[in-house]
Amino acid sequence: MKSRLKAVRSRLIQLIVLLGTISTTLFLLLRISGDPAVLIAGEGASPETIDAIRADYGFDRSLIVQYLIFIWDIIRLDFGVSLVNAQPALGFVLDYLPSTLTLTFLAIFFNTILAIPAGVWLGAKPGQRRRRVLSTIVSVAQGTPAYVIALLLIQIFAVWFTVLPSIAGTGTWAWVLPTATLTFALSPNLIRVVAASIEETTAQDYFRTAKANGASPSVLLMKHSLPNALLSTTSLLGAQFAFLLSGALITEFIFAWPGLGLILVQSITNLDFPTIQATVFVVAYLVFFVNLILDQIFRFADPRLRKSQV
Amino acid sequence: MKKVPTLFTRRDVMRKTSTSPLILKISAATLAFLFLVAIFQNFLYTVDPAFSDLDKRLLGPSIGGPWLGTDPLGQDVFSRVIAGFRWSLGIGTIGTLIGVFIGLTLGIGAAWSRKRMRVVLSRIIDIGISFPYLIIAVTIVTVVGRGFWPLALTLGLVCWPTIARVVYAETLTLREREFVTAARLFGIGSFTSIFTHILPALRPTIQVVTAFTFADLLIAESGLSFLGLGAPLGTPTWGNMLNDSRTYMAEAPWMMLGPVIAIIVTIFAANLLGEGLNAREKAKSGRVSQ
Repeated sequence: MKSRLKAVRSRLIQLIVLLGTISTTLFLLLRISGDPAVLIAGEGASPETIDAIRADYGFDRSLIVQYLIFIWDIIRLDFGVSLVNAQPALGFVLDYLPSTLTLTFLAIFFNTILAIPAGVWLGAKPGQRRRRVLSTIVSVAQGTPAYVIALLLIQIFAVWFTVLPSIAGTGTWAWVLPTATLTFALSPNLIRVVAASIEETTAQDYFRTAKANGASPSVLLMKHSLPNALLSTTSLLGAQFAFLLSGALITEFIFAWPGLGLILVQSITNLDFPTIQATVFVVAYLVFFVNLILDQIFRFADPRLRKSQV
Repeated sequence: MKKVPTLFTRRDVMRKTSTSPLILKISAATLAFLFLVAIFQNFLYTVDPAFSDLDKRLLGPSIGGPWLGTDPLGQDVFSRVIAGFRWSLGIGTIGTLIGVFIGLTLGIGAAWSRKRMRVVLSRIIDIGISFPYLIIAVTIVTVVGRGFWPLALTLGLVCWPTIARVVYAETLTLREREFVTAARLFGIGSFTSIFTHILPALRPTIQVVTAFTFADLLIAESGLSFLGLGAPLGTPTWGNMLNDSRTYMAEAPWMMLGPVIAIIVTIFAANLLGEGLNAREKAKSGRVSQ
């Protein structure tokens, strides 16, 4: 119990340091790159507007005071209002959260279903010719960026065959292509990790002993090989989850998917700093929770961690 | 090393010694060729990549005419793909160098320093790893501005955590090896030891992570350009070209072809190089343990 609290505490410190670093970097970058009031007002704003913004945001005060106010606002979760639609930035961002989360869960779900059996099959007898063909395909696919996959899928299914919609908000079918894109983008990596860990376990002494004792292939796989392989798989899945929350950026942009990625790209194009900040913070919090849950899963799955003081 | 080696069949040995150098040779040769393309691009253009001929808008690919077709401005797609090599490989190279430098410094520093300092440094690495770096890169590029150097520097400054972690773990085990301890007993200083013992021993690891980081940065760079956040609009980069092609998917699907092939081939070559190096290392250490 004590070690569990310790793990939570160290994650919490991580979160605070991360948020502190990000916000300080943002603060400094905004100041270094010129007059922030001009930047926020946008091109062609009148001097009065710029002055109003300067007074409004307190840019006329000293840097230290500005920084302290900035940090205090963040602690109170007050990121200001979006410059585009004058809503509070945080609420605006949170509105977009569910659709990103759903897409993320769907992608992770299909990714797991596809990758674990494929990885097990590949890892069980890696030398076989048929499996080497698949593993070559997998390594080519691994190098393919998500947006290339998305464009190809759109080209085939939405433009040539017109069987699936390529834009969000057009019903249930609109989920298919984004989910497929993310699944194909993530699964090669997962397949390889599963295959490698299965291959590794089959080379272990305990595995050979079990095999020599006459354990059937299915027992060998389910009892001796897979549980160990799943450990490294879980850690990769966690990383992919964290990646999806923000890294679905490009996929969301292509499919006009109303999620965190799209909102981030839009707010960046509009130089909407409050929204950018709120999005980055929401992602950081989510990543924090994902890591926290992962820690617990590892503790559950790996008996060694339960005893040691990690 | 301590693991009792399992029995090698003749075929295992053959596989370990012969196949991996072949992958290595092919991927290294491909990458070298692509770099040559990037350097000598001016001799490879069929048409100036910026030249726009409005009479030749949206022409399909043909063997005689524009090899990969033309875009809506009548620019030659083939020439623009070639021009994209310098941009992508340049940013990839510079970013990777910066990332490897930071990652090495932090990784070795964390592994070499003592208690409290080590905790602090390894926590920094942990934090860096836990957060997806693309999102930070995007934010920085917004403020700093688009262009070659901002992109290269930003990507370099955010891609180090994975490198640092690998280097950290490797240095920790190296530190406990006999030859390093022996050097310490002989009174050889930390810096000398790092440069004469640790760095050379790390070389295979560094080679592997460099190849993989390079591939990752290529993906990140073309992704940012694709979002319109990397390269200035109109610059011939693969990301920009793909973004342009989205509007013309029905009329001119060939616009995607060139950039897609270029991206996949380059990234695949870099990944394969990393894997080849990795396999070679594994094979070597396997033979040593025998």
